[in-house]
Amino acid sequence: MKPIETIDIDVSYGAKKILEAITFHADAGEILGIVGPNGSGKTTLLKAMSRVVARDNGEIRLDDRDLDTLGHRELARRIAVVPQDLSIGFDYTVRDIVMMGRHPYIGRLASETTRDVEICDHAMRLANVAHLAGMSVHEISGGERQRVLIARALAQEPKILLLDEATSNLDVSHQVEILNIIRDLTRTITVVSVFHDLNLAAYYCDRLIMLKDRRVHTAGAPKDVLTRETLRAVYGIDALVKPHPLTGRPYILPTYECTPGRQPEKKVHVICGGGTGSDLLYALHKEGFQASTGVLNVFDTDYATAKALGIPCITEAPFSAISSEACSELERCIAAADAVVITAMPIGQGNIDNIRVLKELTDKPIIFFSKNGRYGVEDHSGGEATEILRNLELAGAERAGDIPELVVLLKESHQSGREDGHR
Amino acid sequence: MRRTAPITILALVCILLISLACAVALGPTGISPGSLITQPNAWMIVWDIRLPRVLAAALVGCALAVAGTAMQGLFRNPMADPYIIGTSSGGALGATVAIVLFAGTGRPVFAFAGAMTATFAVYFIARKGGKIPVETLLLSGVALSTLLSAFLSFLMYTAGKSLHQIMFWLMGGFWNVSWNDVVVALPILIGSAGIYLFARDVNILSLNEEDAAHLGVNVERVKRILLALSAFVTGVAVAVAGSIGFIGLITPHVMRLIVGPDHRFLFPAAALAGAILLVWSDTLTRTFTNDMPVGIITACFGAPFFIYLLRSRMKA
Repeated sequence: MKPIETIDIDVSYGAKKILEAITFHADAGEILGIVGPNGSGKTTLLKAMSRVVARDNGEIRLDDRDLDTLGHRELARRIAVVPQDLSIGFDYTVRDIVMMGRHPYIGRLASETTRDVEICDHAMRLANVAHLAGMSVHEISGGERQRVLIARALAQEPKILLLDEATSNLDVSHQVEILNIIRDLTRTITVVSVFHDLNLAAYYCDRLIMLKDRRVHTAGAPKDVLTRETLRAVYGIDALVKPHPLTGRPYILPTYECTPGRQPEKKVHVICGGGTGSDLLYALHKEGFQASTGVLNVFDTDYATAKALGIPCITEAPFSAISSEACSELERCIAAADAVVITAMPIGQGNIDNIRVLKELTDKPIIFFSKNGRYGVEDHSGGEATEILRNLELAGAERAGDIPELVVLLKESHQSGREDGHR
Repeated sequence: MRRTAPITILALVCILLISLACAVALGPTGISPGSLITQPNAWMIVWDIRLPRVLAAALVGCALAVAGTAMQGLFRNPMADPYIIGTSSGGALGATVAIVLFAGTGRPVFAFAGAMTATFAVYFIARKGGKIPVETLLLSGVALSTLLSAFLSFLMYTAGKSLHQIMFWLMGGFWNVSWNDVVVALPILIGSAGIYLFARDVNILSLNEEDAAHLGVNVERVKRILLALSAFVTGVAVAVAGSIGFIGLITPHVMRLIVGPDHRFLFPAAALAGAILLVWSDTLTRTFTNDMPVGIITACFGAPFFIYLLRSRMKA
């Protein structure tokens, strides 16, 4: 028996479909988050669950009971809703508003009992608004008003609490304060909440449902739902998803500049290591190049960057020489690339194969990249690396001293590459 | 609720009783308490002319104020009044039809029928899929009122000699009110009591309809019942005294400032205050102004006061 369960529901406003075939449930005592882009139907889903919006078909069950068989008052005793904000036209006191939560329990001819007053007092203490009881709702701040609405919802003594972005108009300290209050309620109440802020959703929710284009796109634990791939597919943004260093929950860092859906301009293979390629990889990614990198060992900073950006990377175990498999993969990668970039990286016997392979490839545009003007590598190979690079430069390799310069060179490189091919 | 609200209501009850007594004592003919016993004429003036007139004014004032309060809460709009959904223009047209076509016979019945018909027409125009969105209701009210006003103007244009009578009726007043009219007005008390039973629902509806649904209010049903009851008491008031303006608009405002927005106190406070205001307005007109239409008095006092309220709200 699930506290709330929606089975294959469709909702439309007039001819416009808003939700299609939505099926999910919430488990007792969990916080279930609903996320998704604007217009994906999150709020409508919440409204269907509180029966404010009629659905076309499908079923919603509360503790195995059909939602439609409940009377208005009965429903309000089971489900409470905290709206995003409530503008209150008349000058009610905080206590007046919280007492309205008792409405479904008080008969038309009755007035509130001492028990109702006690429940309101308790609700106000839980939501930390007891000290505001006598004040007008016009005199309190937005964060306080939101807590008043939570107190009112608690006065309904609901089994299920629905929140419609209940904290999205508040600053971060009030968001955290309110969501902590909500989290502490889950011993007795099941919470279903719409979130705009994915990081708050990741931290506070036990499970998430991600909506896209009227349907459930993904559902599950935050770490399974909030991945780089789903964010790209659902929101069309590029983001780094990492475990939060303190909580272990997924943490989303949008990369902001990337224009999703842009055709990758050119293939560039970057030979780097020791962190010399990280900003370069990000810049290439941002500029829309289809980058690849390697061979890198899995402890390398540049490997972590490539992985976070989703750039394909040829890898090798740490502290080992490059294997022949990795080597041939590198050759394939370079053969497919329009250009190769070499950073001022440290080279020793372990990774010298990265540049040895270039000796054979004279027709490929090669660019040395160094931001401090010291071209060439940090040579730990006894001079071999430096010699290979000198030969490459003699064969026409170019130099780039900063990222814009490099980007210009790369954009021209295809033509020169072809000319090289004709030669 | 404000702690002072019950005291205010008690005070209003006392003021109303005193006002009724004063209103009966005052009038163009000076009557001393002693003359009631010695002069049968004096008794007749007090019992058959003044008392029914004063009671009718109190009932009509109560009806307009309660309906105005309900409309302002329901529409979440402080500019709403009992006539906003076409009740007054319907009543006016009904009364005018009676005056023009039947020489005034059955005027109250026509007025009431007109008021109710107009209200229901507005309701059905605004209704869509079992719901009545507040904005649509307001606009339908304005639209239908305009149409009915056109009919009214046409009737007045063709009225000839009875134009004077129509004008008087439109401005509202309590001429020739008898005990019969008081009996006709009594259902106002029942209607107002009915509205009062929904005081808590109106409190919640005055926030937001969706929110009210979350708190267990059967929004559409409550709205329907309140519209019907408000139209009923307003219709009765219009049938008895014509369309008297400003009582239903001003009284809820003033009382909200004094007792707060909780409709469990606001309804009784507004009912009493509406009665007091109209009793005094009527007493003023019949004592000092040779029975000028009372609507002129209420508008003269009401409109400046309303402007004052508006300005002080803008400052706040």
